[in-house]
Amino acid sequence: MAQTTTSPGVPRQTATAPGVHPRPFWSVRPQTDRQSGDAIVSNFLLHWFPAKTYKPSMDWTYSFWLGTTSAALLLLLTLSGGPLLFLYVPSVERAYASIKDIEFAVTFGSWIRSVHRMAAHLMVAAVFLHLIRVFLTGAYKNGVGQGQRREWNWVIGVAMFLLTLLLSFTGYLLPWDQLAYWAVTVGTNIASSIPVIGPTVRELLLGGRAIDQPTLIRFYVLHVIVLPGALGGLFLYHMWRVRKDGGLAKADAVALLGDRIETTPVKTKTYTLLGVARGTAPAVRTSTIEAPDLTVNSVPDLTRRIAIVVLGTIAVLSLLAVYARSPLEEAANALVTPNPAKAPWYFLWLQEIVTDTTIRIGSFTINGAFIGGVVLPGLLVTLLTLWPWIDKSPLAAAGVWLPRTRRAQNAAFLAIVAIVIVFTLIGTFCRGPYWNFYWPWQAWPEIPTRL
Amino acid sequence: MEQRTNSPYPRLDKPVLAIVGLVLVVGAVLFTINDREHEWRYYQYQFRRVVAEKLGAEKARTVPSGLQQIWVPSLGHADRCVTCHQAVAWKGFEAAEEPFRTHPAEPLKGHPIEKFGCSSCHGGQGWAVDVGPAHGPVEHWEEPLLGTQLGTEYSLVDNKAALMQMNCNTCHRYDRETKGAEMINLAKQIVNARGCRACHVINSRGGTIGPDLTFVGDKAPEQYEYGRLSGQRTAFAWHVAHLKDPRALVTDTVMPNFNLTTKEAQAVAMLILSWRKSPVPAAMVPGTPRTDPQTAGERAAEEAMKIGPGAWFVKTGCFVCHSIAALGVKSPAQIGPDLSTAVDDVQSRFGRTVDDFLASPTGTMSVVLSRQIILTPAEKTIAVQKLREAFAEYQRQKAAGKTPAVSSH
Repeated sequence: MAQTTTSPGVPRQTATAPGVHPRPFWSVRPQTDRQSGDAIVSNFLLHWFPAKTYKPSMDWTYSFWLGTTSAALLLLLTLSGGPLLFLYVPSVERAYASIKDIEFAVTFGSWIRSVHRMAAHLMVAAVFLHLIRVFLTGAYKNGVGQGQRREWNWVIGVAMFLLTLLLSFTGYLLPWDQLAYWAVTVGTNIASSIPVIGPTVRELLLGGRAIDQPTLIRFYVLHVIVLPGALGGLFLYHMWRVRKDGGLAKADAVALLGDRIETTPVKTKTYTLLGVARGTAPAVRTSTIEAPDLTVNSVPDLTRRIAIVVLGTIAVLSLLAVYARSPLEEAANALVTPNPAKAPWYFLWLQEIVTDTTIRIGSFTINGAFIGGVVLPGLLVTLLTLWPWIDKSPLAAAGVWLPRTRRAQNAAFLAIVAIVIVFTLIGTFCRGPYWNFYWPWQAWPEIPTRL
Repeated sequence: MEQRTNSPYPRLDKPVLAIVGLVLVVGAVLFTINDREHEWRYYQYQFRRVVAEKLGAEKARTVPSGLQQIWVPSLGHADRCVTCHQAVAWKGFEAAEEPFRTHPAEPLKGHPIEKFGCSSCHGGQGWAVDVGPAHGPVEHWEEPLLGTQLGTEYSLVDNKAALMQMNCNTCHRYDRETKGAEMINLAKQIVNARGCRACHVINSRGGTIGPDLTFVGDKAPEQYEYGRLSGQRTAFAWHVAHLKDPRALVTDTVMPNFNLTTKEAQAVAMLILSWRKSPVPAAMVPGTPRTDPQTAGERAAEEAMKIGPGAWFVKTGCFVCHSIAALGVKSPAQIGPDLSTAVDDVQSRFGRTVDDFLASPTGTMSVVLSRQIILTPAEKTIAVQKLREAFAEYQRQKAAGKTPAVSSH
């Protein structure tokens, strides 16, 4: 602010030039549209939001705010992971004991661990639901805007979903208890069923031929550095792309519709991407999206809703973690296989398929691990990634829930989702010792103990 | 001044945000209470009161508060039992009810708490700080407290607290008899008297008809066949039933029925379960050899040297460094020159006679003869005499044509 020099005779002036934001903090309660726009422009964290948000994008029942929930869970995982980083010791001799310490002796330790674990489970679910929402609304389709690349954001989203699964899976091993040890045994054995390169892949994952210290340190570094870094980077890019693609796809849907709506040209104000500038800014064609009756100021209307979702997620998790304690089984023991040995729940549909596709004819066994554990998920992920290019439905189908024009593909997609969910439920609740079928209300045979 | 564009959202969103804030506060209160609430706070408060009543307020102020633990690095145990059992090291609470009872002094004499902790003898989950998880039996912790409660559940004959003796045998497994472990001692007598080793390998000795029992205590409880066992499904219950009547549990077994009494069967079952690969430091295991033993051949050779013509050199300790080949003495180290030719050798090396050299040695020998092998003047005379004899023998052998293998330095 060059004008504020206090040389004698020159009157002190306040900054008035457009683009200069004299407030050190952004306003939570902007009084004017100008202040509202300023709150976005002058804030580092809010930069990825537009100054104005299109009203239908704010609907609770359009997006269900599942992406925001996922991001809130990621935030919570980072926050709760911080203290755990200081407390956990990634060594075969000490890992289990350090979790016992966290559970019993550390102030809030048990709660922090539960928050971390529940948030991880819920994040897998939230990201999956987010993916379902985006598919069913065809939100990976480009609308009327120029330079839209929504299909690539979908691909990034699929990658982030896989990263979320890997993050959860690598975290599974760290407590070094029986649950950890055998879930990773099941997981890595499936990887080894890939023809030709399978054993090498398994050896690469384990850092040897058995689950031991090299495996633990690999999973640890992946879990606390590599995967969170990758997910964080992709998350930022994902958000930036949403912004560059003109917000939610629903905006495009109504923009197409809006062409038929008579809009009054706005004379005195020009909305730019970043805010509201007055005066002689270059004239930009006012689109329907930016019409005042169809938009609200992002600050405070969007930020308030984001606060509701993020704080609400944290509140629910914090309550959940008080009552849902995280289990810690016996210390890992390579000589004792728990019966049944189950993969993490989000892989149980695959384990179920693996068992169902394992065919025994006499003493001859065709192992289903390759089909159920490699071919099928590989095929599904490939299809999922390529789907925006396969989907030839009209533009009007984007940003709308279950449109007629996408009925067939939505039905097929939902059928697959239903199978995955049913198989996951069967694997989780209906499989007992020897992978025998038990109804949830049926008691499993009593597991004997030493004493 | 232009106004902010109206928005329909605050009317509903603001109360919702307020509710979320309220849930956050409630959650924070709940998890704080949940984290603070522990039985040990009550027990510590009670113990301070008991001490105040018995020994005065001054003493009560010295009772430590907060989580207490005994950390035994060599075992990797953190035993937090003393958080509630605060009277363990206090005198005067010998007759009090648990958790405020003084620990009996006798077993602690040989097993100081700071070196052994609590759970290595008593079992239980030392990490835990709540009554349930610490004492067990609790899911996912297979080492419950080996106390009277568990002993009563198993209807132990006579001493209901005997289960703890299993843990004595973690370290004392090679003892014939261990003070205070009557059941284990009884079981060891039975194992010898009934000849279990006829069929079973125990501690790397025995027959191969039955399974090796050396580490059978590590066998997973799931690996036993419980089909014909009634009552508790535990490895201990299985062993007791199996010892009393092997064929009742395993129909095709060749193991004979030894007609053990219930007490005997319980004792042997305890011994069997105590046979585990427990990684305790070697220093804690009595009877573990602290040396690498010599082979039988090495011992025989040394005995032969002690009664041969070179016996004096062996007894005095010269042979530690020197061989005396002419007299059949072979040094294990052979650091110094062979003493068979010393009479001649010393003369050529130092230009002095052996007598003179031994009287006032130089170099290494001055150190050896002043610190390690102290010889009186009389002994030195014998030394010279023995060296002369050795040299004479050397010359005799040389003349006879069989040159002794004298290594020179």
